[in-house]
Amino acid sequence: MSIDENPVDEVISESGGEPEAIASTVAGESGLGDHEPSRAELIEELNRLVERIQAYSPDYEPPSYSPKRLLDVFGENVHNLAPGLIDKIRSGLSSDLFDPDTWKGLWFMLNYTLEYQADFFKRRYSGEYEVDEWGYDPEFMGLFKPFFEFMYTKYWRVQTSGIENIAAEGRTLLVSNHSGQLPFDGAMIGMAVMQEHETQRLVRSLYAPWFPTLPFVSTFLTKMGQTIANEENGIRLLEQEQLVAVFPEGIKGVGKLYKDRYKLARFGRGGFVRMALKTQSPIVPVSVVGAEEIYISLYNAKAIARLIGFPFFPITITWPWFGLLGVVPLPTKWYIDFGEPIPTDGYPPDSYSNFNLVSQITDQVRNTVQNAIDQRLAERKSVFAG
Amino acid sequence: MDEKTTILVTGVGNYWGAQVAARLLNSPDLARNDGQPALENAHVIGLDAKPPGIEIKGLDFIQADVRNPLLSEVLISEQVDFVCHLAYSDREKSSETAFDINVMSTMKLLGACAEAGIRKVVLRSSTAVYGARPGNPAFLTETHLLHGKESQGETRNLAEIETFCSGYHRQVPEIGLTILRFASIIGPTADTNMTRYLKQPYVPVLLGFNPLMQVIHERDVVDALVYALVNEVPGVFNVAAEGSPPLTKLIALAGKSTLPVLHWFAYWGNSLSNRQHALQSAWPIEPDYLRYTWVADLTRMREEMRFIPQYTAEEALREFASQQRLGKYMSEETAKALDEERLRDILERRRRMREQRVVSSDESNEGIVP
Repeated sequence: MSIDENPVDEVISESGGEPEAIASTVAGESGLGDHEPSRAELIEELNRLVERIQAYSPDYEPPSYSPKRLLDVFGENVHNLAPGLIDKIRSGLSSDLFDPDTWKGLWFMLNYTLEYQADFFKRRYSGEYEVDEWGYDPEFMGLFKPFFEFMYTKYWRVQTSGIENIAAEGRTLLVSNHSGQLPFDGAMIGMAVMQEHETQRLVRSLYAPWFPTLPFVSTFLTKMGQTIANEENGIRLLEQEQLVAVFPEGIKGVGKLYKDRYKLARFGRGGFVRMALKTQSPIVPVSVVGAEEIYISLYNAKAIARLIGFPFFPITITWPWFGLLGVVPLPTKWYIDFGEPIPTDGYPPDSYSNFNLVSQITDQVRNTVQNAIDQRLAERKSVFAG
Repeated sequence: MDEKTTILVTGVGNYWGAQVAARLLNSPDLARNDGQPALENAHVIGLDAKPPGIEIKGLDFIQADVRNPLLSEVLISEQVDFVCHLAYSDREKSSETAFDINVMSTMKLLGACAEAGIRKVVLRSSTAVYGARPGNPAFLTETHLLHGKESQGETRNLAEIETFCSGYHRQVPEIGLTILRFASIIGPTADTNMTRYLKQPYVPVLLGFNPLMQVIHERDVVDALVYALVNEVPGVFNVAAEGSPPLTKLIALAGKSTLPVLHWFAYWGNSLSNRQHALQSAWPIEPDYLRYTWVADLTRMREEMRFIPQYTAEEALREFASQQRLGKYMSEETAKALDEERLRDILERRRRMREQRVVSSDESNEGIVP
């Protein structure tokens, strides 16, 4: 900016030009042509007056009334507060913006994106996409992955440990605690493996048979590669050497009240242990800390739940008072700990029908998860900061 | 098997009976999967209350209803070996009549088969008998419970028949009973729930639901039924084409647009349509079957029955779509006339007729070649 060099001259010439312009427009509009020469003379006289005053006292500056002058003052202040900022903006603007290649490139990029999107929708519309036999749709996953990545890294700032306990390939059964009214914990375990694990395996979560009765939810879960929780599905997935996640607490875990947080509910009927024993898959206990506080559920309105066919209906401090805004979860700090795998290949192959053994392993896994949660809770200083 | 094998096909007056009888009579190679001598020159008796709509050469047609009490005498006096029961009506308005025609007739036929000492009975069923439920496993095996009894119409009747059959099989284990549970049947000529559903200008789906669906081509249905008659494959088998596309993909492949409907309205509309038949056509498939997955496991079909359908799901759907598109520009008759399969059949029939003519002319006047 040329504020420092020859300030007086510039100011004078500018302030001289400005009223002139105004005068001419006024004259042109109102048709008072005879005022024009007298006003120009007046300005001339004023300018000469300013010059004479400055000749006597060099410190004198005319009052800052012109827009140019105001801009200069503003620029001066910006320059003082953040030196070099204006130069940076100016250089950035001048070098690229007036280059036609920039605009050509922008146009090509926009055009390509549009074509790609149009092609994508056309393809989806005419049914030219592939899903696997479970309904997993990789393209659909690609659409939603950024959202879950944001939730994983920025919103809940998930801290994962023991990811090396999951083998690079082969059948593995993850067993986790379940909480949070909505099954975000399943999604975050999936993200943890996808982000941190060396082979970025797809986690096949088994969800409660209530979810497929809900519109959109059923479609969404199926397209994300999840399936309904029953032993047939679990065994088939494990036999296909997949990574399966189960939440034996089920609906009792998801609908947990705030006062019951981090107290594990009953671990189902041991179906997951039968699955693991039948397919001889190692069980990896997973503990999720932080998810139990994303909604503060005060009461389970069973009457409403029965009326609308839900297994539970939480009344939280925000839901249903704030409508859909009440669905926004709290930004707690999450920890996902993958424990040491519990091998099941040491047992005879027909031991899945041994009720004693099944309930024994069920309790063992439950205690491992509870202990890991308790340990993490003891280390945690704050719910939101970790 | 010194003498000719006699096969009784019931319901030759309807599409499936006629197709199976025609395939049994017209196919020169009904090879068996275990290297045994093939079933050649089988004597095919067609049984129905009305004669078949298409001309089937060599069919021994007996005009009688399956519910006729003298059926066992027909089976004994005609020395029937195998029975393929395809008499089934899905066009009955009253559920009582439908139950009588479909369920009671099957029971009576199976009773007559036990009396006459039939060696093999083949039945057509549907994978819908498992029922569409939220808790269904992703792949329904043949041992799964039949919840289809809780649904309506055809599915309920089929589930009733199947329940009867499992008890019957326990009582009369010496009869080789084959039940083929077919997925939704699709094809250019068949008239099934699925083709009726897909032939609507806008195909109704339930908003927010997109279950995986299985289909099977009509040709493969006939092939599988004939295969079960020719080979020794007693038991229950799911039969479906390779691949289970989501419902929206299925509709897109069939070349149609979807019309999403809130599921409450669909159930409401469906409950209305049972009373007023004007609405029936909108939901040929019950809303539950468009809401939950009911995909059947095909391991037994591949490994025990050793039957592989020729068409994959996508091929069957694409063929259906092209046939539908042709139908837009020309009448159904013209579209059929352009259909390659049909033309091949016609050529085959003409060649056979010419050969016969040559044989007869050779006897009378040598040296003349047409």
